[in-house]
Amino acid sequence: MDPMDIVGKSKEDASLPKATMTKIIKEMLPPDVRVARDAQDLLIECCVEFINLVSSESNEVCNREEKRTIAPEHVLKALEVLGFGEYIEEVYAAYEQHKHETMQDSLKGGKWSNGAEMTEEALLAEQQRMFAEARARMNGGAAVPKQADVDSNVES
Amino acid sequence: MASSQPKLTAINSGIDVKTTFPTARVKRIMQADEDIGKVAIATPTAVTMALQLFITSLVLIGAAEAHESGTNKITVDHLKQGISNTTQFDFLHDLVNNTKDD
Repeated sequence: MDPMDIVGKSKEDASLPKATMTKIIKEMLPPDVRVARDAQDLLIECCVEFINLVSSESNEVCNREEKRTIAPEHVLKALEVLGFGEYIEEVYAAYEQHKHETMQDSLKGGKWSNGAEMTEEALLAEQQRMFAEARARMNGGAAVPKQADVDSNVES
Repeated sequence: MASSQPKLTAINSGIDVKTTFPTARVKRIMQADEDIGKVAIATPTAVTMALQLFITSLVLIGAAEAHESGTNKITVDHLKQGISNTTQFDFLHDLVNNTKDD
């Protein structure tokens, strides 16, 4: 799946910052659990692979919809297709929050200033509604491939 | 959550990471792919969140393998084992099989 090296651009430039990732990984684990250095490197490589996977699929979703810009909704669809449907709710919440934060600033004053700002209760209700929508989409949509759990009773 | 089987993922593990994920870098990685054209402003945020969930899941799976083999240090082998036991991580098979063993 490796795209050919683009002249003048090294693929190595496009990787995740090692120090940040090491810190993040450490934060997920109890203090007495360590990670071998080459395992750290492998984890980072897996991350890049994941980004490439999701990007590619999102791009395909985008093309199929005949759009030119990859939107967050395309990412959601891609996650579902790739078997990561369980991520949809949190990913949805993450970019909606981001959108809301950017929107709040532009809502102050201007044509939207007639009470468009939402109270916290209204925000929560809105969030619940969005989750329900995302869940409905997840359940009612295309069949998601069976996912193995940690103890893995399912053969791939 | 829709799933009925308990899965060790970021969602139900209650893990909260304090360090922020590098969204700008995620965007750069996305656009390093020649086929990827324009990307909406919120899209890297979405991908970054997915990445966060993914790596949490992978790390926990590695930790479970390490724990099962009686050690507190996660190795490449533990990750390999965890990955081959997880259908969701099939896309990583080539990557890990090209990695040298310890």
